[in-house]
Amino acid sequence: MREFEFLEPQTLTEALAMMSEYEDDACVYAGGTALLLAMRQRMLSPGFVVSLGKLDELREITFNPAEGLRIGALARHSDVARAPDVQAHYPMLAGMAGGLANPQVRNQGTIGGNLCYADPATDPPSCLIAMDAEVTIAGPGGERRLPMREFVVDFFTTALEPGEILTHITLPPPRPDRTGLYRRHLRTPAEHRPVANVALTFRDVNGVPEDVRLVIGAAVPVAQSMTRAEDFLTARAITLDVAAEAAAMVAEDIDPISDGRGEEAFRRQVVRAITRRILAEAAGLNWKDAAA
Amino acid sequence: MTSAIVGEPLPQVSAQEKTLGRAIYSGDVKVAGMLHAKLLRSPYSHAVIRSIDTSAAEALPGVKAVVTGADVPERAWGVAHKQQHVLARGLVRFAGEEVAAVVAVSEAVAQEALDLIVVEYEEAGALLDPEGALDGGAPKVHAEGNLADEINISRGDVEAGFAGADIVHEATYRTHSQYPGYMEPMATVAATDGTGKLTVWTSTQSVFLARQRLAEALDRPVSTIRVIQATVGGGFGAKIVEERSSVIAAFLATVVDRPVRVGLSRLDDIQSGCFSVPTRIHLKMGMMRDGRIVAKDVQVLADCGAYAGLAPEVMLVTAMRSDNMQRIENVRTKAQLVYTHTMPRGAFRGFGGTQMSFALNSHMAVMADMLGMDAIELHRKNAIRTGDVSVHGWNIGSCGLPECLDQVQAAIGWDEKRARPKGTGVLRRGVGMAAVMHVSGNRTMGNWDGSTVVLKVNEDGRAVILTAESDMGQGANTMLSQICAQELGIPLSHVTVQAPDTDSAPYCLGSIASRVTVNAGHAMLKAARQAQGQILEAAAEKLGCDADELSIVDGVVQSNKNGNLFAPLPEICRYHIFRRGGEGILVRATHDPQTVMMDKDHYGNIAPAYSFAAQAVEVEVDTETGQVRVVDTYLSDDCGKAINPLAVHGQSNGAAVQSIGWTLYEHLQFEDGRVMNGNLADYTMPTAESVPTIQSGIVESNDPNGPLGAKGASETAILPGAPAIANAVFDAIGVRITDLPITPEKILAGLAAKEESQHA
Repeated sequence: MREFEFLEPQTLTEALAMMSEYEDDACVYAGGTALLLAMRQRMLSPGFVVSLGKLDELREITFNPAEGLRIGALARHSDVARAPDVQAHYPMLAGMAGGLANPQVRNQGTIGGNLCYADPATDPPSCLIAMDAEVTIAGPGGERRLPMREFVVDFFTTALEPGEILTHITLPPPRPDRTGLYRRHLRTPAEHRPVANVALTFRDVNGVPEDVRLVIGAAVPVAQSMTRAEDFLTARAITLDVAAEAAAMVAEDIDPISDGRGEEAFRRQVVRAITRRILAEAAGLNWKDAAA
Repeated sequence: MTSAIVGEPLPQVSAQEKTLGRAIYSGDVKVAGMLHAKLLRSPYSHAVIRSIDTSAAEALPGVKAVVTGADVPERAWGVAHKQQHVLARGLVRFAGEEVAAVVAVSEAVAQEALDLIVVEYEEAGALLDPEGALDGGAPKVHAEGNLADEINISRGDVEAGFAGADIVHEATYRTHSQYPGYMEPMATVAATDGTGKLTVWTSTQSVFLARQRLAEALDRPVSTIRVIQATVGGGFGAKIVEERSSVIAAFLATVVDRPVRVGLSRLDDIQSGCFSVPTRIHLKMGMMRDGRIVAKDVQVLADCGAYAGLAPEVMLVTAMRSDNMQRIENVRTKAQLVYTHTMPRGAFRGFGGTQMSFALNSHMAVMADMLGMDAIELHRKNAIRTGDVSVHGWNIGSCGLPECLDQVQAAIGWDEKRARPKGTGVLRRGVGMAAVMHVSGNRTMGNWDGSTVVLKVNEDGRAVILTAESDMGQGANTMLSQICAQELGIPLSHVTVQAPDTDSAPYCLGSIASRVTVNAGHAMLKAARQAQGQILEAAAEKLGCDADELSIVDGVVQSNKNGNLFAPLPEICRYHIFRRGGEGILVRATHDPQTVMMDKDHYGNIAPAYSFAAQAVEVEVDTETGQVRVVDTYLSDDCGKAINPLAVHGQSNGAAVQSIGWTLYEHLQFEDGRVMNGNLADYTMPTAESVPTIQSGIVESNDPNGPLGAKGASETAILPGAPAIANAVFDAIGVRITDLPITPEKILAGLAAKEESQHA
C-alpha cells in the first residue's frame, strides 16, 4: 500500500470540498472492505482518503409510511439487515443485506460504499433496482437524484461525477399488494460473492403478476432488468412451465461475465436455474421435484 | 503415577497464549536495528535474465541493499537434487521465482524500490503441461532433461494375476495442487551478531533441517547458524524445507550485517510457498468374483514444478504406500516425476497419499459396483490385518481398519442410505466412503528415525523439556507434556516445553511423516522414567527405604508400604542437587525405532507403526447448478491410543475440512504459468458456513511399538475425504468424476453426457 493522507471531514460540506479539491487523487472511505484490499494490491493508490466516518447523519435509516425508506449511505449491511423498519416493511431488502458476503463484511462494509465501488460480484444493485430504489448524490452544485438502475454504468464504474458523494438510498413506500423475493447463488458453498443473483418484485393481482421487475445481478457486468421476461410474465399466472420458459428467456437475454469464477455458459445455466426457482417460489410452487 | 493425564481430552498447552494473542510468531520478532525486505518475482515462466539495473532502487532513500542472483552463493541447495539458489541466477524457471530482493528501513520503502528495479528478460519457450514433459521437443527445465525421478516396483506376477482375474477395471485419475493454507504466512527474522554468527527465527517444522539447508544455501558451516522456531501457525508440510523466503531472509541478513525481517503477504506466500504435487494416475486392477484383489498396475505421472524438492519422496508415497493397506501380492508400479516451468510442488499433509487414495478408493467403488458388492464389504475383504506383513515388507503391528469401517458405516447410516431409492429431483443425495493408511514415522531419511528428548526437573519439582521436534499447531508439545506429567506424577501445568533451538536442543528431524508421537513420545517416556528413577533413588536415600517401594503421586514421593514415609517432590529434587555436588536432575533419552531402511526395490519395514482411517460422507448435488454440498461426514482414525482425544478429534476434523476444500472449493488457476487467484477471496478455502457439522471417531488398536500404544494421528485423516466425496457424488447422480477438483462445471458436463448417452 502506498502512503496516503487520511482526511476526516466533520460535515458533508467539508467532505464535498475535499473531493472537489483533490478530485481523481481522492477516494471516499465508507467502510473500507473493498477499498483497502484494492489499495493493498495497489490497484488503487489515492493520495487522499476521505473518510466519511464522522458524518453520523449518513448512518441513519429512517422510515415514513408516506415517503418510504431512507438509508444513509454509511449504513452498514448489518445495520440494514437488523433495522426493525426494514425487517417490517422491506423484508426482501433485510434478507439481502443479512446474507451478503460474510459477517466481517456485513459488519464493516456500508451500502453506499458497496454501490459506489460497483463490483459486479455483489448483491445490493439488483435487489435495489427491483425495489425501484433511487440514490441521492451530493455535489458541488447541490443534490441530484437518480434511479438506481442508472447509477451503476459499467464494471467498477458509476454515474458519480468527480467531486460527488452518494449520500442516501431511498425506497418508495411499501405497497401491501406488492411482493418481492431475492436469491443469490454461490458457485460453491465456500464462496462469499454471488456468481449470479436474481431479484423479483411484482404486484399480485389475484395471483397474477403485474408491474413485474425481474433483475439479474452478479452474472453480468451491471445488474440488468430482464424486460422481455418481465413482459412475458405480466398478467400471466405462474406455473412451473411458465417459470421455466421465463428462465430460459432470461438466460438467453443476459450478457454474462466470463472469468475464473464462471464461464459464460455456466453463468447462463445458473441464472436459468435461479430464475426458475425464484418464480416458482413466488407462486408457491415446488421446483425441487423435477428439473426444467 | 498420578490422576490420569494421558488419554484425557485436554486443551492444547499452547491454547492460552495463542488465544490471548501472546504467542510470539516469527513475524512478531523485533530486533534492534531491524530492516525489512521485499522480493521481486519473475513475471515469466521461463526466461533468461539479460540484465538487472538496480541503480534507481538503490538510490531511493531508505534502501540499504538491493541483492540479485549475481550476489548469491554459487552453491545450490535442495533435498536430493541440489538445484536452487538463494535468488535466481541468470535464468528463471517459473513465474514467481525470486529474482531480486530489496532491504530497506521499512516494508513500504522496500516495496517502492522493487518497482524501480529494471530487469531485462529474454523469454523462452515454457513447458507448462506435465503431459508433454518427456516429449523430445519439449522445452527443457533443467539441462539434464525433464525427468526428475522414476520409480519402478514389481512384486509377484502381475500378468498372471490379471489373466486369472474375474473382473478387470482401468481408469485414469487426475489430482490438482492444493495450497497448504496455514493461518500464518511465512515470516522470518534473521540477524548476525558481532562474531558473524547468524541467528534465524522462523516458522518451520524442523529447525535442524532448516539449519542444514541454510548452511548449504549460504555455503557456510552449520554451527555458524542458529535456528530458533518461533510459534508456528500451521505448516502442513510446506514448512519442512521447501518454502524459500527463510533462505532469502537469512542471506540478506548476512549481506547487510543487520537484522532483516521478511514477512510474506498472502499473495507472496502463495507465490513462494509449496503447493501439493499434482498427478495423473492410471490404475488397472483385477479382482476375483469374491472381491479379492489379484493384480494391480499403477502408472503415475507427477509434476514437481521447476525444482524437485521433496517431490521424489512424495511420489514414492503415491506410488506404493496404499498397496500396504490391502492383502495383495501382485503389484507393479511405474512412477515418473517431471519438471515443468511452474511453481515448485512438494510436501503436503498426507505426503503423496491423498493423490493415490483418490484413485484407489474411486476404483474400489467402481469395482464394488461391478461385483454387485457393497464398497465397505469390499474394503473389509481386502484389508490388511494386525500381524500381517504387507506386500512391500511392512510389519503391521496393529490395524484398526476393520473397526474404522464399522464405525463410519454405522455413523453415516450407510446401509439405509445405500438402500434408499435413487433420487430423481433437482437436489439429489448420495453417500460414499474411503479407507486409507499412513505411516507413523519413516526411516527413509538417512536410515535412522530416532528422537532425543532432554528432560530437566527443577528444584521445585517442575519439568522442562528440550526437544527440536516441532509443534506447528498439531499438538506435539501437549503430547510430550502429557506423557511427561503422567510419568513423573506432576500436574500438566508443571511441565514446560522449550521452543526448538539448534544451539540448545538435541538433534531431531522435526514434524514430518507423523513421527513425533511415535518416536519423540517414546523418547519422552524413557526420559521421564529415567528421571523418575533418579528421583526415587534420591528419595530412598533421604527417607531411608527401598526405591522399589516408592512412587510419585500428585507431586509427592510416597512409600507404598509405610504411609508415614513421604516427601514432597521439590524437597527430593533439592536434595538431589545438594547431596550430589550440585547435580540437578537432567536426563537425556533417545528412541530409535527398530525399523529398516527400504532396500533399492523399496522393500522393508520403514515405520514402527502404521495408522489407518476411514471416512463416509453424504453429499447433496444440485443438478441444475452443479453445486455439491457435503451434508454429513464421519471420519474414524486408528491412532493406536489417543493420548489426547480432543487433539485427535481436532486433527481429524481439520483434515476433513481441508480435504473438502481440496475436493470441492480450492482450485489454483494459472494463465501462462502465472497464478491468477493468489488471494483468499479467489482461492476459496472452506468457511464455517461451507462445511457440515464435522464428526469423528477414534479407534484404539494399541500398537505394540507405540508409546503407550500410540501412533500418528494428524495425517491419515486427510487421505479419505476426496474419494469419499467423489463416490458419494456418483451415488447421488451416477456421474463419476475422475479429475479433481469436482467443480460445478464438471458436474453439469457429466450430467449432460449421461443424459446424452441415455438418449443415444
